[in-house]
Amino acid sequence: MTGLPDIGPAPPDDAARDRAERDDLLAAWETPSGFRRLSAVNNSLIGRWYLGTAFGFFLFAGVLALMIRTQLAVPDNSFLSMELYNQVFTLHGTAMMFLFAIPIFEAVAILILPEMLGARDLPFPRLSAFGFWCFVIGGTFVCGSIFFGAAPNGGWFMYAPLSSDTDQTGIGTDIWLLGLSFIEVASIAAAIELIVGVLKCRPPGMRINLMPLYCWYVLVVAGMILFAFPPLIAGDLLLEMERAFDWAFFDADRGGDPLLWQHLFWIFGHPEVYIIFLPSIALIATMLPALARTRIVGHSWIVLSAIGVAFLSFGLWVHHMFTTGLPNISLGFFSAASEAVAIPTGIQIFCLLATVLVGRATASVPLLFAGGALAIFVFGGLTGVMVAVVPFDFQAHDSHFVVAHLHYTLIGGMLFPIFAAVYYWHPFVTGRMLSPRLGRWAFWLIFAGFNITFLPMHWTGVLGMPRRVWTYAEEMGWGALNMTSTIGAYILATGVAIMVFDVVRPRRFKAPAGVDPWKAPTLEWLREGPGHPWGIRSVPVITTRYPLWQQPGLFEEVTRGKWFLADASGGHREMIVTDILDARPMFVQRVPGPGWVTILSAAFLGAVFILATWHLWTAAVLCGGGFLATVLWWLWTGTGGVPPTPERDCGRGLILPLYASGNGSVGWWAMFITMIGDTTAFAGLVFAYAFFWTVHPAFPPPGSEPPGLPTAALAALSLSVAWLLMTVAQGANRAGRGSLSRWALAIVPLAAAAGVASLVLAAGAVGLDPTRHAYDATVWVLILWIGVHVAVGVIMDLYCLARLMAGRMDASHDAELRNSVLYWNFLLVQALVTIAVIGLFPLVSGGIR
Amino acid sequence: MRSPGTRTWCGPRLLRLAPLPVLCGCEGRHSWLAGAGAEARAIESLFWPFLIGSAIVWTAVMAFAVFAYRSAASDKGERVGRAVILWGGAVVPTIVVAMLLLTGLLTLRALSARSPALTVQVDGEQWWWRVAYRVPGQAEVVTANEIRLPRGETAELLLTSDDVIHSLWAPALGGKMDMVPGRTNRLTLTPLTIGSWGGLCAEYCGAAHAQMRFEVVVTEPEAFRDWLADEAMPAAPEALSEGGGLDAFLDAGCGACHTIRGTEADGPVGPDLTHVGGRGRIGAGLVPLTAANLSRWISHTDDVKPGVRMPAYPDLAPEALDRLVAFLMALK
Amino acid sequence: MTYPRIIDDGSVWIVIMPPVIWAGHFLAAYWIAAVWCARGMGVLAPAAWAILALTLIALAAIGWIARIATVRYEGLLRHEASIADDRERSRERFLGHVALLLCALNAVAVIFTAAPSLVFGQC
Repeated sequence: MTGLPDIGPAPPDDAARDRAERDDLLAAWETPSGFRRLSAVNNSLIGRWYLGTAFGFFLFAGVLALMIRTQLAVPDNSFLSMELYNQVFTLHGTAMMFLFAIPIFEAVAILILPEMLGARDLPFPRLSAFGFWCFVIGGTFVCGSIFFGAAPNGGWFMYAPLSSDTDQTGIGTDIWLLGLSFIEVASIAAAIELIVGVLKCRPPGMRINLMPLYCWYVLVVAGMILFAFPPLIAGDLLLEMERAFDWAFFDADRGGDPLLWQHLFWIFGHPEVYIIFLPSIALIATMLPALARTRIVGHSWIVLSAIGVAFLSFGLWVHHMFTTGLPNISLGFFSAASEAVAIPTGIQIFCLLATVLVGRATASVPLLFAGGALAIFVFGGLTGVMVAVVPFDFQAHDSHFVVAHLHYTLIGGMLFPIFAAVYYWHPFVTGRMLSPRLGRWAFWLIFAGFNITFLPMHWTGVLGMPRRVWTYAEEMGWGALNMTSTIGAYILATGVAIMVFDVVRPRRFKAPAGVDPWKAPTLEWLREGPGHPWGIRSVPVITTRYPLWQQPGLFEEVTRGKWFLADASGGHREMIVTDILDARPMFVQRVPGPGWVTILSAAFLGAVFILATWHLWTAAVLCGGGFLATVLWWLWTGTGGVPPTPERDCGRGLILPLYASGNGSVGWWAMFITMIGDTTAFAGLVFAYAFFWTVHPAFPPPGSEPPGLPTAALAALSLSVAWLLMTVAQGANRAGRGSLSRWALAIVPLAAAAGVASLVLAAGAVGLDPTRHAYDATVWVLILWIGVHVAVGVIMDLYCLARLMAGRMDASHDAELRNSVLYWNFLLVQALVTIAVIGLFPLVSGGIR
Repeated sequence: MRSPGTRTWCGPRLLRLAPLPVLCGCEGRHSWLAGAGAEARAIESLFWPFLIGSAIVWTAVMAFAVFAYRSAASDKGERVGRAVILWGGAVVPTIVVAMLLLTGLLTLRALSARSPALTVQVDGEQWWWRVAYRVPGQAEVVTANEIRLPRGETAELLLTSDDVIHSLWAPALGGKMDMVPGRTNRLTLTPLTIGSWGGLCAEYCGAAHAQMRFEVVVTEPEAFRDWLADEAMPAAPEALSEGGGLDAFLDAGCGACHTIRGTEADGPVGPDLTHVGGRGRIGAGLVPLTAANLSRWISHTDDVKPGVRMPAYPDLAPEALDRLVAFLMALK
Repeated sequence: MTYPRIIDDGSVWIVIMPPVIWAGHFLAAYWIAAVWCARGMGVLAPAAWAILALTLIALAAIGWIARIATVRYEGLLRHEASIADDRERSRERFLGHVALLLCALNAVAVIFTAAPSLVFGQC
């Protein structure tokens, strides 16, 4: 039935074996103590740190919110100065979005996803740790700036040309651009890891139709991150190039266009709203079966909605730009998508309601928060379809009506579900329950405070109060409503304070939770709790959607070590990797344990970004070298290599290989997914070119000559040769012709260098100057992009060469080489597209005109 | 279309009961619901149905949620549940949002269908508004922070900016439109109610964004044309000749930034002051134009409006300041 | 052990295609209109016709996928608990069901996208 080979009988109960296996597991998975604890990489610990840090930033941004509300409580207030207010509101939005709303998704997923999949960890534990440390460093950098009066002050949307004017928006904007780019890198790293986790690390037998809804959402949302963040990274690159080196992208006098930034920002910015919202709905969809004592009604409908929202949300971005003067018909398209996205959103909500209808829900704090989420989010959704109506938005846009709307969607759609999840999964993490009484107090204070704050704010907007104003005159008549909002904000803050108190008070005051306090159906409740860092005791075969309900005896079988990988002989951290569709076991992946290399590399990378903020280029380059060295060390010591034995007996007759390369391996998928994201960023740059072509009557403009075709063709040829050599090296290695493979790899850098040199020559020979015109700048940024990618490709090439020489790769163990070839496949496509855009397109577009 | 008039338009007829005008702030000079323009009324005609419709939908969903929570489980449950998803989650919302979409598109088409009788160029500056009227056969009229429009006539505002993005918004008259460097955007306004309506910058445009306001003064068409003819004249001769005010102005260096047509002051940086005494407010709509306010504005500019580009003149001798203020007030 | 291949064995492509068709149609419509209007063509009719033609093609493609999905799901509206079973067939039916629902959603979304081309005659 499961598509698995015959499964042997379960081993008999044997207390001595159980103890021995547990000792082995502990030896392999034990968290280091003392200061070495910081070097831990285990998902349960990293997840907790991640969660705590994200909540820390939430509280910080919440204090900023209170400062905003205090300043606006009365007209002509002088609590905050104009300069400080502008920094405070910018940082409030930035921190809530980038340092709380998105990381909290990653934190929760890192914490519960592996356990929900019956996996011991995520496939790349060190990558999670690396992402976490990037997040800590970047977030502290961005938030800390306000204590030096140097916080960004251009709004969290950073519209050019205000943000490209270094006189008006000082170092804060660079901190924003570089600090957040750094954090986005971490987010993308987490997204890659989560996608691979869902696709490849499910328990044997858990086919795609049996996968919990939470995993669907994680897959969808991580996929969205992969397509939404890169355009912003591309935008950040352009804006920082303009700020640091005066490249002309957004300066209208030099052929740039401020609207390009808005496009790139909102192609990120609107999907981002759903990146925040979907995981929270996912949390509710995961809790609800336990709370309502029934299966989810409309499982496939929820999957449909998640996928549908994920796509449609990429067609909404211009609804943040309804008043920028685009043609009516263009506005119409985006209005259409903005209305359409309400359909799958509504379906999700009704699936959850139908589940409550079918089930027997009893009152509990998580359910209370879920109900609050419903009340608030539905309201926010309704104002959402209003502002999606273009003429209505002409009034509502950038007024306090929109401030109210967005807080209804985000707090209802994200914060309340997260709070519900805190009450629900607190016993999962700590083994203790939070107080229901304090929970009810917290809920009602937060709920009442929220509505007192934001319901009147709709009216404040109707009365004409714009957003992002540090003060207003008494004669405007907005005083009473603002005072009400401010009072509400403090009530809300009181509720949050009660919740925080409940969470942080010592555990001895909290009631013990037992193993499965909610009688939940999902696998994470198979974990054995604090003190058992290995997660699941043994990895079972899953044949149902609600295993703890529908597979009787599972708990005992798993915790008594009667399933796969019950032991950890040899002290390795191991997990089973399965196939994407049917979760048939493919091989056993050994994952690395604690290490300082993750913190070190995060610190070096952080230093690169921080030093670049102050234009300390030499130091930045040195740290970049340090980053490269640590990453190579990390890869060399922690990944790949020929295993000592080819196979591993997982118990019950399941014998799996210990090595995989190519598209079965997790590394290949990680590379594939990374390159999808990377290519999206590249597409953002090509979009910039196409956008300029659309808005300019002539592009290339008069005075700029496009790069010469022969030189560009030479570049295409050289890079193709480099790619071909990589492919040849892979084939030769497979065929056992090691020396041919090594020679091919050794020549790659020459061909690659020739390719980049020809590209630079092509643009340089015709005198393109990036500070002169947007055309020149766009061509140069494309060449820069390809140049950097070729450099990375050459490093990979040399790494593979070194691995071959060192005997860490051979004919049948070639994962690194195959991953590098995959990288080069994408690189070749990007290079050829670049050459077509800068070399061929001007000929064609010139012809049409 | 409702007939233009001076009465205050407020809310749907049904709801126009006693407490509502206070609640909805119809009397507000910045309210969307003030109904002072045809465009604002068109949008308002969306607002009330949306509000009532949302209230109904929200109540229905909440009532259903409470019912679902209270109801006991049953065997038929799952079939009912699927019907709920299909009809409540998919079919009904699809119809509702389709209607919303069409209503929005048709309203948008109607909004852009008016052909303008008058063109006004408004240039957003940090943090004030340069307003220029170019009427064929007449000298160009340049003023600042006050847009005069004739009642009942559609005006097209050409919106530009040279520094950063601003957004012109007079909620009582209609929606907003951004001013994007390098582009010229168009906004049509058809004022219907005589009066002075508030406007402001809706797009965050840097430090003093909060205090970038303006006035829209709606007058009868004849009065508007008289005003325009007066504005086209150079500065009032009696102001120029009286009490050495012009000398004080020039001595303080004001002419480097400000223009007063008919004098040697031709600075292009700040607002044109040729007829500043005829405007209702100073500091980009910030405070009413009175001698005291003007005096404080000149001597303590940054206190009145933090971040303002105009330097303060705290060291100006009191009598020179008085002469200057009297001079500016006389520039009707 | 053999593993099913994602594309042909898994029918995953019929899940992905409907939204991809919507996305392609949406971007094409946006691009056509943007370029048309940026080149100062005031009258929209030719662009609108092009968009409507694309709409028909997109709807036909979605319909074709819906047909495949119906076969996989073995029905249109009927409900079968067996899509949650531990069988290869159940997995296929599940993906067929999701694909079918996505076809419906994206058909609506494509029609929505076409609406502005019918309403506006001018840029």
